[in-house]
Amino acid sequence: MNLRSTALAALLAGLGTAAFAGPSVVDGPGVDPSCFAPWDASTKHFQWEAQEGPYRIAIVNGFVGNTWRIQMIKTAKAYAEDPAVKDKIAEFKVVSTGTDAPAQLGAIEDFINQGYDAIVTIAVSPDGFDRVIRLADRENVVLVPFDNVLDTDAVMQVNEDQLAMGRMWAEFALKELDAKGVSSGKILEVRGLPGNSVDRDRSIGINEVLAADDGTWEIVSVVGNWDDGTTQKVVADAIAVHGQFEAIIGQGGSNGVIQALTDAGHPWVPVAGESENGFRKAIAEHSDEGLKGISIGQSPGLVAVAMKAAISALEGNVMPQLISVPLPVATYEELEDGKNFWSDLPDNFFTVNEFPPCGVNVSGPAIMAQDETDVK
Amino acid sequence: MRDLILRNRAFAGALAMFLVLFLGYHALHPRGFSTAVFIQNANESVAIAFVAMAQTIPVLMGGLDLSVGAVMTLANCIASHLVTGSPVQMVLGMIVTLACGTAFGLMNGLIVVYGRIQPIIATLATGAIAIGLALIIRPSPGGEIDGDLNWAVTNAVFDFAETYGLADDGNAAWLQPFVNIPVPLIILLVIGFGVWIPFKRTVTGRTVYAIGSAESAAFMSGLPVRRAKIAAFTLAGFFASCGGLYLAIQTSSGNADVSQAGAYTLNSIAAVVLGGSSLLGGIGGAIGSLVGAGILRVISFYFRILSIDPLLQPLIEGLVLLVAVSLGALRTLRVKNRLELFR
Repeated sequence: MNLRSTALAALLAGLGTAAFAGPSVVDGPGVDPSCFAPWDASTKHFQWEAQEGPYRIAIVNGFVGNTWRIQMIKTAKAYAEDPAVKDKIAEFKVVSTGTDAPAQLGAIEDFINQGYDAIVTIAVSPDGFDRVIRLADRENVVLVPFDNVLDTDAVMQVNEDQLAMGRMWAEFALKELDAKGVSSGKILEVRGLPGNSVDRDRSIGINEVLAADDGTWEIVSVVGNWDDGTTQKVVADAIAVHGQFEAIIGQGGSNGVIQALTDAGHPWVPVAGESENGFRKAIAEHSDEGLKGISIGQSPGLVAVAMKAAISALEGNVMPQLISVPLPVATYEELEDGKNFWSDLPDNFFTVNEFPPCGVNVSGPAIMAQDETDVK
Repeated sequence: MRDLILRNRAFAGALAMFLVLFLGYHALHPRGFSTAVFIQNANESVAIAFVAMAQTIPVLMGGLDLSVGAVMTLANCIASHLVTGSPVQMVLGMIVTLACGTAFGLMNGLIVVYGRIQPIIATLATGAIAIGLALIIRPSPGGEIDGDLNWAVTNAVFDFAETYGLADDGNAAWLQPFVNIPVPLIILLVIGFGVWIPFKRTVTGRTVYAIGSAESAAFMSGLPVRRAKIAAFTLAGFFASCGGLYLAIQTSSGNADVSQAGAYTLNSIAAVVLGGSSLLGGIGGAIGSLVGAGILRVISFYFRILSIDPLLQPLIEGLVLLVAVSLGALRTLRVKNRLELFR
């Protein structure tokens, strides 16, 4: 620690007159708590010096190539054109670096060097950003990781509570089973990408609720990588081996779960899953036959909340260090065509996109219609 | 001078292409050429440059090493555990990391030579082994690499000297001409030239080229073919682990990222070709690949200063890459004897 502060002092001396900036830790509550809700009571609050707008904002995405990421990029572009923020943004740029940590760090550093005011990113790794955090603080740049966040409390981050999501899925499944009068049997858990913190937290949430229940459940876990194809295969295998499940709780690739159930002729059971349009279509169609479903999504619209948070921080508002975005939940009772799913849109489209408390009102069809060429 | 350029036409072409792209990027950069931007460019390029140099040596023999990205990842994970503690411990950790990577390369070489398996298949398998080991060593990303080391090595010479209190905290007069040079660039050039040029001049090094040109002829001429093959893969392991070690220091952590390992392996092949080496073997060199890696990186730098639709970027990057590689292949239009096309 001592060495580190020496290095910091050295850095300051090297800069001559430039002071070590970055956010100061202040007491809450923060601005607009209905949108920027602190993670929990112990979350600290940040405040940056207010800067003159309009701001230059960059989005440094990592992996690109699945529907979620593409939808995220389109949402970001659409939100940048939203009247509420359009005037506050002087320049807006999006790059994707692929799953390449040096390239992502390099891109962030390049934008810092170019004098951007805020950089919103989905980190390719939960670690390793020490250098860019240091540079961002030095240059008073607001760095906002969201979705795949960092294992640090030194930057402002935006995410949904994955643990709560896991719990809610399991609670719903147990409630539906209870209503059916089922109190024992096999429950299938479909996990996501191994080694990822989101997968870990969701699974912990699911399993602690199931373990606390008084029913006798045998939990079978398979790994579906959040991918429709992989999920379909592993669920089909699990059905072949285990015969019948009383409920299925899947973290992602929910279209694959439905497809596997259909193919195997498995009776409809309560299914908890993500927010894919196809999954919601299936629930709406078959809920009377027993497909009691709950759909909770990690929304691509998180990017818009992260952008809004960045702008708010640049305006000098008090912000929570870790912002918890409310979980967008829809059960089979709440689904409505054209409102929270779209029967005329593709299956792999992610339905949840809007966060009304944050003024993020970019809806599904609006994004699909978003022209590719308008941010020139 | 003219002779030198003509003899290394492919390398000269790669260097020219790199300079044009690099200077163009700096000319368009909103803040112009500055130490900060130069440091950032160097940092981003080190890992891929090392992996590209690693790939070059098997390619010169007419083979491919599909494990370079995986060995880099393995070294990255090992380093994230070992490069910590007192300065002596950190240096020991670095040596062990490089030794592990080099040993892995040696194993590749032994499998190829004594197992008589094609390099591409052998390294496909050992690459999976390396990733497996990396995942065991570091199931979830993390590690505590010294923050000072990270700061010192990813900055300019001045910051390095200042962090460690060397040369009057970087203010010594004799250091002034060098203070703005990025440390990563120095590491890259010192290891690149310091290891590759002496190796190339040994009999073993020349044999690597000879194997790529005509393996049976090399064998009939009494060249140490087996030794050269083993040396080539060992050296590839060494360079790949240099990349992994730098990546660990740069990110202060280790991450057994499978898709990143794959991306680095593929990009290393692209960098080798851009650097003027022939995939058929016998032509090229590791320094060319260093430049090739630079070209690969600079192309992606442009997306940060130009407004190009994010979803079109991969397409444009691919097209630029294709054009760049095609420029390298222009020489085939001028061959006098068609037999040369098989070279």
